[in-house]
Amino acid sequence: MAAIAPTAGTARSARARSLKHDRRRALYWSYFFLVLFAVFFLTPPIYMLITSLKSSAEVGAITNPWWVYNPTLDNYKALLTSVEYLTFFRNSAIVSLVVVVVTMLISIPAAFALARMKFWGSATLATGVFLTYLIPETLLFIPLFKIFAWANETFDVSLMNHWWLLIIVYPTLTVPFCTWIMIGYFASIPKELDEAALIDGAGYLQILTKIFIPVALPGIIAAMIFAFTVSWADFLYPMAFTTSADQMVLPAGIVTTLIKGDVYAWGQIMGACLLGAMPPLLIYAFLMDYYIAGLTAGATKG
Amino acid sequence: MRRGGLRRLARRKSTVAFLLTLPLIVLIAALVIYPAFYSIYLSMLNKTLERLVGLDNFRFLFTRDTFWMVVKQSCIFAITAVLFKALIGFCVAHFVHNVPAKGQRKWRGMLLIPWVIPPAMSTLGWFWLFDPSYSAFNWLFVRIGLPAVTWLGDPLWARFSVILVNVWYGAPFFLIMYLAALKSVPEQLYEAAAIDGANWWQKIWYVTLPMMRNIIAITVLFSLIVTFANFDIVRILTAGGPIDQTHVFATWAFLQGIEGGDLALGASVSLFMFPILAVAAIFILRDINRRGNEAS
Amino acid sequence: MSRRPFTRRRFLGTTAAASAATIGFPYIRTSHAAGSLALGFWDHWVPGANDTLTKLCQDWGKKEKVDVKIDYITSQGNKNMLTITAESQARSGHDILAHPAWYALTYARQLEPLDDVMNPLIKQYGKVATAAEFLCKSGGKWIAVPAVTGTQVKPPCARLDLFKQHAGIDILSMYPVNKAPTKEADNWTWETMVVAAEKLKKAGSPIGLGIGQTTDSIDWVGAMFHSFGADLVDAKGHANVKTDAVKQVLDYSKRLVAAMPPDVFAWDDASNNKYLISGQGSMIMNPPSAYAVAKRDNPKVAAQCYTFEMPKGVKGRYAPFLPFLWALWGFSKNKSAGKSLLAHLLQRENVEKLVNASIGYDIPSFESMRDFKVWQQVEPPQGAVYHYPPRGTEEAWMACAPAPASIAQQMYTQSIMTKMIAKYTQGGEPMDKVLGWAASELEGYQRS
Repeated sequence: MAAIAPTAGTARSARARSLKHDRRRALYWSYFFLVLFAVFFLTPPIYMLITSLKSSAEVGAITNPWWVYNPTLDNYKALLTSVEYLTFFRNSAIVSLVVVVVTMLISIPAAFALARMKFWGSATLATGVFLTYLIPETLLFIPLFKIFAWANETFDVSLMNHWWLLIIVYPTLTVPFCTWIMIGYFASIPKELDEAALIDGAGYLQILTKIFIPVALPGIIAAMIFAFTVSWADFLYPMAFTTSADQMVLPAGIVTTLIKGDVYAWGQIMGACLLGAMPPLLIYAFLMDYYIAGLTAGATKG
Repeated sequence: MRRGGLRRLARRKSTVAFLLTLPLIVLIAALVIYPAFYSIYLSMLNKTLERLVGLDNFRFLFTRDTFWMVVKQSCIFAITAVLFKALIGFCVAHFVHNVPAKGQRKWRGMLLIPWVIPPAMSTLGWFWLFDPSYSAFNWLFVRIGLPAVTWLGDPLWARFSVILVNVWYGAPFFLIMYLAALKSVPEQLYEAAAIDGANWWQKIWYVTLPMMRNIIAITVLFSLIVTFANFDIVRILTAGGPIDQTHVFATWAFLQGIEGGDLALGASVSLFMFPILAVAAIFILRDINRRGNEAS
Repeated sequence: MSRRPFTRRRFLGTTAAASAATIGFPYIRTSHAAGSLALGFWDHWVPGANDTLTKLCQDWGKKEKVDVKIDYITSQGNKNMLTITAESQARSGHDILAHPAWYALTYARQLEPLDDVMNPLIKQYGKVATAAEFLCKSGGKWIAVPAVTGTQVKPPCARLDLFKQHAGIDILSMYPVNKAPTKEADNWTWETMVVAAEKLKKAGSPIGLGIGQTTDSIDWVGAMFHSFGADLVDAKGHANVKTDAVKQVLDYSKRLVAAMPPDVFAWDDASNNKYLISGQGSMIMNPPSAYAVAKRDNPKVAAQCYTFEMPKGVKGRYAPFLPFLWALWGFSKNKSAGKSLLAHLLQRENVEKLVNASIGYDIPSFESMRDFKVWQQVEPPQGAVYHYPPRGTEEAWMACAPAPASIAQQMYTQSIMTKMIAKYTQGGEPMDKVLGWAASELEGYQRS
């Protein structure tokens, strides 16, 4: 016994030491690869920043592209004083914020009903909502033109070429996924909670507003961020549905107004893209934890 | 009395539930389901959209070599891109998980950036990096003695480039999902495995992967759907060229329908995304059902 | 027709019959085109050119009491094609849109006939370029008018210094400053060009002609095919792929590709410009927008850039032509105002204003208007764009003509000719296979 104990002790400490050694080695390797991947992930944005600080003469010159010899903020000045660009920004902001609100107004009640109030066809509907996520927008935009033609001829409202039209069509991209995430999140709330409330005589709407929304707030925030990102980034719908410079939103606006056919203003384009990426970047910087928590809880439940 | 009250409650419940889902139903029916069926109708019209031709458009597509090339390329594009996204996401999630908790937030935030920039904008940055005359990559390559690469000019390189950009854009999403999943794996499992003398590979294979199975399946399926229907990255980088080699369904449908003025054919091409997505749907459905059963 | 009441006081006395008659002749000042007009013009690449068009339209609108709203729609990423398709399906949007080459014919059934605009103009100014007329007329009726802004040719724009130094070619002796081409210009053939290209490649400044899938590439390749006599489809719609002329042009392009940068297959409309402006390239084929930007960003290069005629082939000398057309939608609610504006814009003095604003980029489709002073004035170097508009010694040619519109549009948007070259050269496919592929593609374009 006495003979074994010390041996076991040294063996354990040796193993602990080698474990520690292993850990440290793993840490170094982790840092090494993290730096490597950070370079891969950050090269394009950094290069965009570099280019955005160059005058168009320097962009056109054959010099070291990774270095700015005569840094200038002219591109940013031009962008921030351009009525067109500021209009894109404003349109994007209004559209995205309204879409977030609309999406929440549609998907929270629907998700609540589908998660908690079993009714005829609710399971089919839940699945169906998810399946609509599979229908790509490239398939939908041409038939949507037909619907606009019909609206134009029946009600004499012209839907084409108005930024607010995007508020009507973007929810088709955001609602299915948000509803799906929320169904998952609501389902994870203990049933006892709402059963108790029901027995206390609370109505379904009260249960939704007093219990579910506060409890599921992280999930709701995640869904809101998702809706915002999607509407901020969408490219095909604004390209298809808006034409006038004062009706465009950012991604489509940058591509169609800053790229003048065969004359690219690269410094400005890069600056415009970086500025345009700022709002989602800021949102993620502050709300990333909610987003990750909400998304993973909603998507991996079960 | 009691039965009547119950029935009234049930009736009220289903009415409320119906009203709560009504906006959703209206939105989906008017702006997704109806247009989707309309595009099926479109795909059965002739080029001038004047008469029904049944399945002739599909029959025509089957005789086109380019169509089969697009089918192949779409699959290569989606599968390769998703595979690498998942792989990179998985590895980098481990690296982030390994560093001290203090630094993790910083790394995570930094590595998430590609996913946050709207792809139409970041793709323009890549486009400029790949530019034939001004490629900043080629400038580096030439400096270190490598030959300049025709990023978007050579069919193989162009295929590589569109996949590269897609992986760059999508990998961070996998990273954060997997990182969250890694954190939910109880530390005791690893300790137990270590005591059993498992090496790192065995730990991944017997502990990590089984614990993350669900989330891996979901992220891969979601990403497959989105990547398969990708439009903006390919459209902005190559518009399908050179010699159509980088076309995916969405961009080829756009070429046929909008640029070629043949809406019926464009709709037919887009519809082909369905069968493949339906397979994905079946897997997801199974998953949802399982989830639903567990929840109730 | 405008549903709004006529408001101008001086018409109070005229009868309804009289006002109906004036509608037949839109360009009469007294035609009261009240109401509003939404216009979608091509977004010009020459800095500042849009402003002149805006001013012309606004001034007209003020005089005619028409509320004019103008959008400039880029052709980058074919946004203009997307807009045309969208509006044709949604039956709303703009009243007048600028259509690129084949588009007006594709949507002919939805466009308003414009005979009453064009016929008086033709009486006044004479013939319209054949290619433009072909694209504007459907079933014997004008369904569009040839636009001024954006209509372009894409002849060579070369570096005088590099050509002299490395290829031994003095461009000015063939195409002297502000004078008609000399006898020596007869030697400017595709053969001369490829020999020069080989020398320039050796000297490290290759010429760069795009073989991608955008208009710059398709247009010059189309003109080259035609000057070799290699029309893939004839006017009746019959395909003639397996001909000697086609084989010759493909073999020729193999030599040419070997003398150019390897990535020409991925070039878009901007790549050749950047290639020239960066100082690497010795020649591109493009309208003067590349030159205009070089003047801004790299004036040293610009001072050596000279635009002149296309090389000659066995079947003649053809300038790659890309006309834009202005067309009025049938669903427009203010057709009389639209017609009146179109007629106004095509008056000689207005055309000249537009051409000046584009520093000579825009090519008027009325051949009588190719004598504007601006083409003599742009410099440095002297006479930089004098030889840019075709003046009889070369003919403007629309790629894919003379094929019927529905086939030609497919050939154009699918860029069949540049793909044939790419397959044969870059792809290394044998001639038979390339021709077989092209034949099968053309068969596919016959769909109706």
